[in-house]
Amino acid sequence: MWRRLFLISAAVIAAACVEDLTTPGVCPTYCPANQISIADTVLYDLSRDSSFRGYVLPHQSALMLAADLPGIVDGRAIFRINPSMSRIRLNPNDTTTTAILGSDSARMLLYITRRDTNATNLTLRFFRLPKTVDSTTTFSDLSGPFTDSLRTLNIDSLLAKTNRKDSVTGDSAVVDTINNRLVLSIKFDSAAARYIATDSGAIAFGIRVSADSLASIAIGKGGLVGPSLTWYVQVDSMGVTTAHRTLGTFFASFATFVSSPPAAPIDSTLAVGGVPSARSIMRLAFPRAIRDSSQIIRATMILVPAVPARGTPIDSFAVEIHAVLVDLGAKSPIAVDVGHTDSTMIHIGRADTVRIEVTNILQAWAADSTLPTTFVLAARDEAQSFAEIRFYPTIAAARPSLQITYVRRYPFGER
Amino acid sequence: MTARRLDGWTVRGRVFATLLLAVYPSSRLYSQDSQFGVLGLGTPGRYESVRARSTGGAFTPFDPLSPLTEAPLADLVVLTATAMEGTSYRQIDLSGSTNSVRSTRFPLLSVAGRVAPRLAVSAGFTTYLDKSWDVTERDSTLLRGALERYTDGLTSDGSVADLRLAAASRLTRRIAIGAGLHLLSGSTRETAERKFDDTTFHAIQQLAEVRYSGIGVSGSILIGVAPGLSLAGWARSDGRLRAKAGDSTTALTDLPRAAGGGVLFAPSPSVKIGGSVAWRSWSRSAGGGPGAFDTWSWSGGAEIGSGRMPLRLGVRGGQLPFGPGTTAPTEFAAAAGTGRTFAQGRASIDLGVERLERRSTGLTERIWTVLVGITVRP
Repeated sequence: MWRRLFLISAAVIAAACVEDLTTPGVCPTYCPANQISIADTVLYDLSRDSSFRGYVLPHQSALMLAADLPGIVDGRAIFRINPSMSRIRLNPNDTTTTAILGSDSARMLLYITRRDTNATNLTLRFFRLPKTVDSTTTFSDLSGPFTDSLRTLNIDSLLAKTNRKDSVTGDSAVVDTINNRLVLSIKFDSAAARYIATDSGAIAFGIRVSADSLASIAIGKGGLVGPSLTWYVQVDSMGVTTAHRTLGTFFASFATFVSSPPAAPIDSTLAVGGVPSARSIMRLAFPRAIRDSSQIIRATMILVPAVPARGTPIDSFAVEIHAVLVDLGAKSPIAVDVGHTDSTMIHIGRADTVRIEVTNILQAWAADSTLPTTFVLAARDEAQSFAEIRFYPTIAAARPSLQITYVRRYPFGER
Repeated sequence: MTARRLDGWTVRGRVFATLLLAVYPSSRLYSQDSQFGVLGLGTPGRYESVRARSTGGAFTPFDPLSPLTEAPLADLVVLTATAMEGTSYRQIDLSGSTNSVRSTRFPLLSVAGRVAPRLAVSAGFTTYLDKSWDVTERDSTLLRGALERYTDGLTSDGSVADLRLAAASRLTRRIAIGAGLHLLSGSTRETAERKFDDTTFHAIQQLAEVRYSGIGVSGSILIGVAPGLSLAGWARSDGRLRAKAGDSTTALTDLPRAAGGGVLFAPSPSVKIGGSVAWRSWSRSAGGGPGAFDTWSWSGGAEIGSGRMPLRLGVRGGQLPFGPGTTAPTEFAAAAGTGRTFAQGRASIDLGVERLERRSTGLTERIWTVLVGITVRP
């Protein structure tokens, strides 16, 4: 009898050792007297703001931009290749070298990383530029060299060919659907790809783009997606000119782009994007009552465009809001981690009010009161498109505002 | 008393008892909780040992191991320590939906003994208010012009313990009196969470530890009216319960005054019949406002048999202090139990089972509770 009672008791106790008290509530009848209290407010007085341009310059961009958008922008890609070779070894096992007499042909590889698939007759035109092009070269400096093209390439026609290969010109294309880019292999003859031995083969190219409309592309630069040139040269072999000797593949040592007209000067509006890239800085008067005594569950920055976003349809871009690590004005270092950054997409031509969720930033400010309540508006991929947007500043009637939804401190212990 | 060898089952019982006391954390000082306590201060404790509870609470005013009254301590001959454990399975019928919860509580620990020929003292704790609950709720609210659905989770984990220092003295052969000082102390770890269906709104989670403190006094008398017939009376007054979250006092709540009495009739050494009644002014805690009620409770029970394995039976009924509406929720329970002594009477184990039903508008709780009590007289 006792043994059974003990066993039963032990089993019951063991089964109940894991506590489970969760019950559905029928409020307010059988719920705690206190409930979670949520408030929502819109702050219009956000203190001060200012804009600056020149954070990322064209030659610092990850892409080369080429566009022909009448009334908006004319952009041209330029790059320079420096083989620094005037002689070549005929036999890999022999250190004896021989002079490079000239080029036989060359093959250029270009990665088109962005294009408007609605553009028809998308055509590239290639120009020879002075090998002195550098980061100070302007659009007007190259107005002369950009008049007489070396050759043209109609991308639509090439893509329409069987296997995307043109047996006449020797061009070919590969559509890389995984990386969402178009790889062009373009053949240049000896005239187009002249090898000037006195320059050690240094050569600069320029690319213009045209189409029936929406002519705007981005070309990869740097690393393995930058423009490259594989040269086939003529050499002197025992007094006999031998052709088709591969000199090697050379990547661009310098790449940038020039555009006209230049970016509009900064005015009283809050400019974001463009080339060179512009950023706007806003300093917020963050109420201490919200910062210190509540939990922010949603915060939305509301910005009204002063003008519709400029650019081409494919230039839709992301505007990010970053908290700053230290408020040093235009040179404030920005925080780039997810906890201090929020973003939204800007669509070209739209003048709708822009709403950017900034919950992460305000929560970070609430968690660390030593952080300056300043944030920076910047394009996510700065100087990688001509697109730019300008918002009304804090002194305007349609000034920026901040909508904050927050939870007041739950009245723990109160009845 | 004759000495006898400890058999194997006795040894196992001792080991079991020792383990029970050793393995559970001391912070789990809870009593049986109730959905009715969510709305108010909590669920009041029962102030009963397993033996008293197995009689429906009828023997409580006469039980020296129950911390309700002090006067019965005067009859303790040797140092005695007791503890109890209760495991509850609770079925909740709330507005048509049924939910089951379970919990284990350790609501009583007491040490008592005689320190002078006419003076016995006791120290120990019991649960004053159980404040453990976990409520989830689905609802919606208008935010930024749209109806946002959410799930709330409000939890409280903890209790307020009654630390009692008591003394009792038998003044005459018929009369014993006692008094007690009650220090109320405890804490709850509370959380408030809200998760929106629309994840654009971040989840809310706030938590705090709320500490409680208070003080109370009590007194009791035990009168032997005639051979086999005893009467008991008791009264208690508690002050205010102070709640502090961080450094701030968040609430000062008036606690009830209480009084009660009982009768115990023992027509023979193997039969005891008892009854008790109690009143508590819990409405003070709401300042006369809604949601809190003065309560009456009653109980009747018997213990049949003595020595190795008595049978205990009892019923009780009454009111609960917190609930919605204009009338107090009610409860009714039936209990049964037994007990056995070991080691020449130096240790005993009591077992009990209770079936309790609580009712109010839209809510019915049905609870099975298994009770285990251990008493040691070293």
